[in-house]
Formats: sequence, structure tokens, C-alpha cells
Amino acid sequence: MKNSTVLFAIFGLMLAGCSGTTVVLVPDATGKVGKVSVKTKAGEQLLSQSGASTFAGTVDKAPSQVQVLDSTKIQDMFGTALANEPAPPLHYSIYFKSGSAELLPDSKPLLMTMFKAIQERKSCDISVIGHSDRVGDNGTNKGISLKRAESVANVLKTIGLSGDCLDVRYYGENDPVVPTADNVAEPRNRRVEIEVR
Amino acid sequence: MSKIFPFSVKKHIIAIFLGVVATVQLPAFADENYIGIVKTYQPLATVLHSGTESTVDVGVKLYPGDTLVTQSDAAVGIIFMDGSVLSLGSETRFEIVDFLFKPAERNVSFISKVSKGTVAFTSGAIGRISPESVKFITPTSTLGLHGTKVLIEVK
Repeated sequence: MKNSTVLFAIFGLMLAGCSGTTVVLVPDATGKVGKVSVKTKAGEQLLSQSGASTFAGTVDKAPSQVQVLDSTKIQDMFGTALANEPAPPLHYSIYFKSGSAELLPDSKPLLMTMFKAIQERKSCDISVIGHSDRVGDNGTNKGISLKRAESVANVLKTIGLSGDCLDVRYYGENDPVVPTADNVAEPRNRRVEIEVR
Repeated sequence: MSKIFPFSVKKHIIAIFLGVVATVQLPAFADENYIGIVKTYQPLATVLHSGTESTVDVGVKLYPGDTLVTQSDAAVGIIFMDGSVLSLGSETRFEIVDFLFKPAERNVSFISKVSKGTVAFTSGAIGRISPESVKFITPTSTLGLHGTKVLIEVK
């Protein structure tokens, strides 16, 4: 069994460049490296290191042993796709008092910064997403998170952004920055996240 | 909240919130079911949507089930509603098999198929909320992306 696995791996490496799937894990724009599993009917390979790659030549063979690719090789293979990547979305967070959807006076400078960034990017593709902490039940928190998102959206519209560019959503307590037990007050989760795409 | 408000008041508040949710959600989602927008484009690429093929351009909206096909020297960059960023290289065929983004109900999924070509993908909120929900299908394998950026080549 072990021998056949090794054979498959060698076979896989030999096949690199021929028909099949090559998967490479790379750092994202913030430098973070995640994980990716590559599965065929015969086995699975987990990539968890920057530049790690595996090759799945056919569906009935396990993916190859992990091989780390250097940046030259990665550019060779993925140059066109990488050169045409859209700039990553910009993210902003605006915070609220417990149970409140009222904008705090100190969020005004951030809203202005954000508005300028939206104009510079010429973006008409912006989500405004309201969140809550876990104080109270989820139904109530969905309502609060929506009201928070609407508060921010209204200010942006007042400053001069078209409502057509805004996608207003609310996640209630389901997407915390800091996961907590139920009914725990967490100021960092009482927020509206703005994503400029 | 239950400790702050007596039961009847709490019920009343929920009723108001539900009213707000109902009135706001309908117009916002009725005609805008798109899931991503094309941000960068090098000709020539087409999108197959409900059996109709059209040329891609910056600003084109994408929907679940759409297939993108790029010719030689072409590229397409997309940002999806969950903030994930996708870039297709030349001679690529990419299908959005399933895209579901209802975070408040924890109902999220992003499954796509790469039949040929090159793809650069950085996961967004779907991957953050539910890492096991971001999947790619290729002719020989299935990829489970547990954050964040991956490159795929299918020959």
C-alpha cells in the first residue's frame, strides 16, 4: 500500500505539466496563508504552507506529494490571472452602543474617509452590513443590525452617494468578529461593516 | 434584552423589527439577484447565462449558474458579493455551480467548476463564516478551501 502511494506520487510529479489539476496555496493580500484540501477518488492531499502545490493527474489516483513552488514558477503558470486580479475590497467598521442604531459622533471622520475612498475607487458596488453582539435573542438582533446598517447607509446617501450603489444587509449576531457565548455584551461585534468592491 | 424589557414590550419591539425587515427586504432583493460584478477585463471573454452567450465587460453582473469562457490572451477579474476575489487567466472555462449568501441564516455556499485554464481565488465572507462551504470541482479532483488564496490550473 505504501509503495503504491509513493509510486502514485512519483507518477503525479512526472505528470506535472501534462493533463490534470495543479493546485497551489499562496498568501492572500494581507500575507495570510490558509489551507486547501485536494481530493480525488483515491486519496487526499492537504496544502498548508505558502507555495505548496499538489497535482491530481487522474481521478483514480491520489494527488501527488506536496511540492513547494517558487515565485518564478508561480508567475510562469498564473501570470495572466494574477496580473488581472481586481484590487481587494476595502473594509471599514463603525461601532455602536449596546442595543442602539444611533451613529456616535466619533464615527463621522471615518465616514468621510470612507466616502473619499469610494470616490477615488469610482466604486458603485458597496455593501453596508449590520451586525450585533449576542445580548438578546437572535430575532431582535437581526432587527438591530438592520437598523444599524440603515443608519450608515442614510448618512452615505446624505453625503452624496447614490443609493443604487449600496447593498444593505444585516447578519444579526451570526457573524461576530469576536465569538462569544450567548447573551455576552461585546462592543467589537456591535458594528456595521462597509465593504467597497 | 429579555432582562431589560418586560415580555410584552419585547414582543412589541420584535413586531416592529419584523415590519421593517419585510418592507425593506422586498425592494432590495426583488430585481437584484446578481452575485458578482466584473472588475477587470482583457478581451475576449464570454459569459453564458441561461443559455444566452454574451461578451464580458467591466460592470457585467454575474448570477448563479453562469459560465465564463476566456480566449487566448484574455482575462476576467470578478469580485463577488461576499468579497471574494476571482481572476481567470486565458483559455479558461469557469462555472458558478452554486452561490448562496444568506449569512444571517448561516446559509452560505460557493461551489464552482474549473474545466480548463487558470484561476486565482481569494475567499471572502462565505469562507470566513463556513470554511467547508467553499469548493472547486475540476475534472480530476475536488478542492476544499479553508481560507484564503489558492491558484488552480487545469490542463
